[in-house]
Amino acid sequence: MRSPLIPEMATQEVQLNETLAHLKTESETLKSKLEEERAKLHDVELHQVAEKVEGLGQFVMKTRRTLKGHGNKVLCMDWCKDKRRIVSSSQDGKVIVWDAFTTNKEHAVTMPCTWVMACAYAPSGCAVACGGLDNKCSVYPLSLDKNENLAAKKKSVAMHTNYLSACSFTNSDMQILTSSGDGTCALWDVESGQLLQSFHGHAADVLCLDLAPSETGNTFVSGGCDKKANVWDMRSGQCIQSFETHESDINSVRYYPSGDAFASGSDDATCRLYDLRADREVAIYSKESIIFGVSSVDFSLSGRLLFGGYNDYTINVWDVLKGTRVSILFGHENRVSTLRVSPDGTAFCTGSWDHTLRIWA
Amino acid sequence: MSSKMHSSSSIAQARRTVQQLRIEASIERIKVSKASSDLMRYCGEHAKNDPLLMGIPASENPFKEKKPCTVL
Repeated sequence: MRSPLIPEMATQEVQLNETLAHLKTESETLKSKLEEERAKLHDVELHQVAEKVEGLGQFVMKTRRTLKGHGNKVLCMDWCKDKRRIVSSSQDGKVIVWDAFTTNKEHAVTMPCTWVMACAYAPSGCAVACGGLDNKCSVYPLSLDKNENLAAKKKSVAMHTNYLSACSFTNSDMQILTSSGDGTCALWDVESGQLLQSFHGHAADVLCLDLAPSETGNTFVSGGCDKKANVWDMRSGQCIQSFETHESDINSVRYYPSGDAFASGSDDATCRLYDLRADREVAIYSKESIIFGVSSVDFSLSGRLLFGGYNDYTINVWDVLKGTRVSILFGHENRVSTLRVSPDGTAFCTGSWDHTLRIWA
Repeated sequence: MSSKMHSSSSIAQARRTVQQLRIEASIERIKVSKASSDLMRYCGEHAKNDPLLMGIPASENPFKEKKPCTVL
């Protein structure tokens, strides 16, 4: 640090440095207080309370459908509310809408970019949103006319300064929530493309997000390369809770069906459960033999089962309450990159770097 | 950039961090035992309506094949 020539500047610099030091001390004090308060309420472990719950039997889940048609890695998928249609996106820039019952392709769009990392179905079932390396989120209305060129009706909604990692419609077709490699999340009006709210707080790329179940109000959770999972108030843009227990990137976050908790999947090969009212991690789903990252997680309808798609090509099924693994599923020939349970809970779908999607039940 | 400006933006950053921590420290929390029993109760109440948990017969699941019966 250069020593200033003017005495007043010297005084000001000292004052600024004192303020900074003071703030840093307060920061440390608050962090300790936070840990203390959380620890006070840590009276028992979830799996201990769950000892009295009946154990789960053997599960027989198999691939019931295989959706073939993508020319490269499948990166993302989402279910339509009608419980049979699926949208998927791929590294080769293709976005496909499938009828999962018949495995027929109903629509296909070629994006102007590769690595379409995010896609989502609109609640009405009449549109899909997608984006990736183009740094945007675009909405395509789905036409009943199979011959119509979907790309012609494309609407650019979101603009980030780095890749789009995830997107989700809120409870209507009118708003979209996005997360990006630029470290932010944002809420957009679909019709006008206007930015309604932005969410700052992650210190690195945001990789995933999930909206709270509508009954629980206007919040969402995001996970990032800074190993943090943040819970946000959608109206104020404020981060209301933050959890940092993972040891690597958080690739996936998903709310527990009651909205009182959420699960996360990380490159540290673990899934974890965080309870929002206890404000802490309450379970870790891991095994010494599992050393590859988790790309995607989702709950069964009751929240008793947690499905995790892994980079070692498998799906592990966990008993959420007892913390044990109840099943391991094989079938994909490369990383599982995306996993979602169907809206009525009858099946779940996985997408993989092996270019296929599988429906399991 | 002068060291004074550098300090100013660090201070802004530090103020934001303190602000954020104050918000997080002030929320109301419940005990893990209570949170756990609530999670368990939710699972219990919804278990019978969870097809992947209970397993539903092939005839009711559109993704499962209906196996034809042959009488030998």
